[in-house]
Amino acid sequence: MVFLKNPINRAWLVLMIATAITWYLGEVGAAGTGAIVGMLLIAFVKGRLVILDFMELRQAPRMWRLLLEGWMLLVGSLILLAYWLSLR
Amino acid sequence: MQYKSQAVAKPYFIAAIGLFVGQILFGLILGLQYVIGDFLFPAIPFNVARMVHTNLLIVWLLFGFMGGAYYMIPEESETELFSPKLALAMFWIFLVAGALTIVGYLTVPYAALAEMTGNNLIETMGREFLEQPLPTKLGIVVVALAFLFNITMTVLKGKKTSISLVLLIGLWGLAVFFLFSFYNPVNVVLDKFFWWWTVHLWVEGVWELILGSFLAFVLIKTTGVDREVIEKWLYVIVTLTLITGIIGTGHHYFWIGTPEYWQWWGSIFSALEPIPFFAMTVFAFNMVNRRRREHPNKAAVLWALGTGVMAFLGAGVWGFLHTLAPVNYYTHGTQITAAHGHMAFYGAYAMVNLMMISYAMPLLRGRAANSNKSQVLEMWAFWLMTVAMVFITLFLTAAGILQVWLQRASDAPLPFMVAQDKIALFYWMREWAGVFFLIGLVIYIVSFFVGGEEKQAV
Amino acid sequence: MNSIAAEPAVTARRLPGDLAIWFFILAEMLAFAVFFAAYAFARASHVEEFNQYQQTLDLNAGALNTVLLITGSWFVALAVQAAHRDEQADISRNLLLGWLCGAGFLVVKCFEYAGKFGAGITLSTNTFYMFYISLTFFHFMHVILGMVILTVLWKQSRKGVYGRYDANGLESGAAYWHMVDLLWIVLFPLVYVMR
Repeated sequence: MVFLKNPINRAWLVLMIATAITWYLGEVGAAGTGAIVGMLLIAFVKGRLVILDFMELRQAPRMWRLLLEGWMLLVGSLILLAYWLSLR
Repeated sequence: MQYKSQAVAKPYFIAAIGLFVGQILFGLILGLQYVIGDFLFPAIPFNVARMVHTNLLIVWLLFGFMGGAYYMIPEESETELFSPKLALAMFWIFLVAGALTIVGYLTVPYAALAEMTGNNLIETMGREFLEQPLPTKLGIVVVALAFLFNITMTVLKGKKTSISLVLLIGLWGLAVFFLFSFYNPVNVVLDKFFWWWTVHLWVEGVWELILGSFLAFVLIKTTGVDREVIEKWLYVIVTLTLITGIIGTGHHYFWIGTPEYWQWWGSIFSALEPIPFFAMTVFAFNMVNRRRREHPNKAAVLWALGTGVMAFLGAGVWGFLHTLAPVNYYTHGTQITAAHGHMAFYGAYAMVNLMMISYAMPLLRGRAANSNKSQVLEMWAFWLMTVAMVFITLFLTAAGILQVWLQRASDAPLPFMVAQDKIALFYWMREWAGVFFLIGLVIYIVSFFVGGEEKQAV
Repeated sequence: MNSIAAEPAVTARRLPGDLAIWFFILAEMLAFAVFFAAYAFARASHVEEFNQYQQTLDLNAGALNTVLLITGSWFVALAVQAAHRDEQADISRNLLLGWLCGAGFLVVKCFEYAGKFGAGITLSTNTFYMFYISLTFFHFMHVILGMVILTVLWKQSRKGVYGRYDANGLESGAAYWHMVDLLWIVLFPLVYVMR
């Protein structure tokens, strides 16, 4: 398919599917450690696609790519830490 | 100096330095009163000395801002000032009004001063930093409006640059937010709420725009880096300043009876206020490193770098220290605040004015830069004042930490005055650091009168 | 031979857009990081309250808005690609589509707010709503700013400012718009779904 040859289009498709999964998890009321980790992972994958394909940082100097990916990791782990504290 | 009318900046700068000396002298008196309570009593009680110290600060900074604007705007707009006569008239009005106010503070009891000056018409007096009698406040408004009119007309008839635009926003903001000093609701919560619109939105909002544009102007002149590059950074800094600074007002709304969400809003946004200051430091060093020419005025470049670093430390780091609500719960109104206030005002606003004076004064006196001898002396003054201020801040911080511990955090909290006695050692050390600051200031003034071979005007 | 010599220059690692905008983006992202962490840690001490009131939020509206922002981001990324290929009409068209997605986001959000404010919910109702309103509104303002930027880009693109040799302004604005999207990608699961 011509559509999928463009990495931006692939990214968009994956982002849509991932959003649908998050929505579904919300719809069925998924909760607890598994759901939290899953949603954070999905968010990380989505964020990474935006950073690498939409923002075009895949070809950028490594520092910038790492800064933004690092932001995703940092925010994800802070949230995870806080949720882990609440589950204890 | 490219335009004749820039010369009106000179009296403003001289007055600013004169009032700066006054501020420091009263600072020393005040510092001594912390440890010798009845020093100069009853001639100059503590509350009066404090009022004079802080009011002189504000007034000399305003003189500096106006002088800087009068110097900068004609050059940026590439046209003569709209009305140099108006600028000079306003200078004398402002100086006389300021002097009369200080004399009033020193000779008449405050309550009597309030009665004499018609405070019963609109009650505006008696609030920290806004102690000025009604006629003085009205005078400030008149002077500010005439000044803004003059500056704005100049920009309108000449070239419009981003730097003058940012300066105009800063100066108009300064005038607009001062109007809240006339609003004094009976409800104490509302009173405090809007009091901060003048106080906070000045120093953590619009004044930063003035700081940014002055810094950008001097950097363009001294480094020769493209205007485009400098303006781009200025825009980034201004936007960050406004986002963090305006919502950051919330860090004053923790404990005055305002809704609880301010604890979150205030903590989060004010915690980010160091970012624009950090950007300013990076900006200053970056531009100086990328300089395309060696400007003969080394002292001005030193002040420019210094104001970046010290503003970041004083306003940014020392502000952050006690800006989070859970920390501020213990520290508000202690010597931690005083430590922050001293370094922030010196680092951001005193130093940026001194930078502007350092850059403009030689040009106003018909040379590109002062003689080597004079510049060396000025740099000595820079280091003495700056290091002295660092020590003042460190001693006050130590005093503050101890005060928080003794008076608030410990299991058996001590009364205020008992705690004050226990931290007297730090007050003594602060006073000595203050003496060194004064020596630095004297050397600074001497540097204006040192001759030697001058750099030719270009 | 010449083409081989020129190769490294073309594939050299390059930051799209202006350094200043990236600095600004980092500052903005730091602001949101602090806000997200504040939400998560505040929740840790109000778990039941957060879980209870989270269920009053409109999951469908949140998901729809995610779709809108991602699609808007996609269009703007396509606009940048079009600029690199020098296809002028495509730049403007994609920017306009991206802008419309942003407008759609605002409309959905307004309906959501109308429901909440209509029910008498304010910043002072409870900690959860305080965060919900603060975070989404702060983001809302960023969508508006992003749309202002897109408007400028669209106008410029109509004048044919952007092309293979100069897409700096377009890339800078696009990067900001992608950031708005990126923030929502974290905000949506955090505030609407995770429990």
